[in-house]
Amino acid sequence: MRKRKRRPADAAELEMTPMIDVVFQLLIFFLVTLKQEDILSHLDVSRPAPDPNAKQEETFKDLLTITIHRYGYMLKGKNRSIEQLERDLTRLASFSKSVSVIIRCTSDSQHERLVSVLNICAKVGLKKLSVFSM
Amino acid sequence: MGRQKRSSTAGCAVDMTPMIDVVFQLIIFFIVTIKMEQSINEDIRLAKAEYGPMIEEEDPRTMVVEIDQRGWISIHGAQLSRAKFQKIMIGRAKRYRQFPVLIRADRRTDHKDVRAVMDICSKIGIWRINFAAIKQEVT
Repeated sequence: MRKRKRRPADAAELEMTPMIDVVFQLLIFFLVTLKQEDILSHLDVSRPAPDPNAKQEETFKDLLTITIHRYGYMLKGKNRSIEQLERDLTRLASFSKSVSVIIRCTSDSQHERLVSVLNICAKVGLKKLSVFSM
Repeated sequence: MGRQKRSSTAGCAVDMTPMIDVVFQLIIFFIVTIKMEQSINEDIRLAKAEYGPMIEEEDPRTMVVEIDQRGWISIHGAQLSRAKFQKIMIGRAKRYRQFPVLIRADRRTDHKDVRAVMDICSKIGIWRINFAAIKQEVT
């Protein structure tokens, strides 16, 4: 780079150009590598022991079984779409939030379906969730 | 800020000070926010769950288990067989007894692959499982 001739009064001034070059390089590097991350949520479930000699669960009154299979959802033995399921669960949760929900998944169901059911449960405030596999 | 008086030959020089201030602020911002270690698998597309509670201050003992679309298990970007994964979990359970498990499973993963991980967890006595999902996507 060409050196500019300065008057003696300016002699004490620093040469800024290289520093600005470096700083811009750094800035561009950070701009390019910056990647915004999605905000994550966590959905908690309990996983009961697959223990065969565990005593058969007493038939709780407050027990709700949701079945997830590859092509949809079932609530109390009836097929439900995700919207219907949401409506039903909202109504149920308005009576009692202490209902234990058992979610049974078939092994070929996608994980997304389980997450969407857990999402609805989180929305309506059902906390006691267990996941079974079948 | 005081303007320096310049001779007429330097009259067109721009005052750099405010720009450098701003640029330094930006750089400091990026340095502070940058995350160098990228231990997550970028191929995994999480399912959406906008009502789930946010993941806040993470327990340092948390074990993040990733399951990709084909059911492969990985931890910190290292792919593991189920047997190896079980060995790691048993070793960890010996040290901590209980620790939180966060499963980052792809939305298209079959439940049987998630189940395999959950079964290993319950085998070593971990009953609480967390599933990661996307609360809010960045556009």
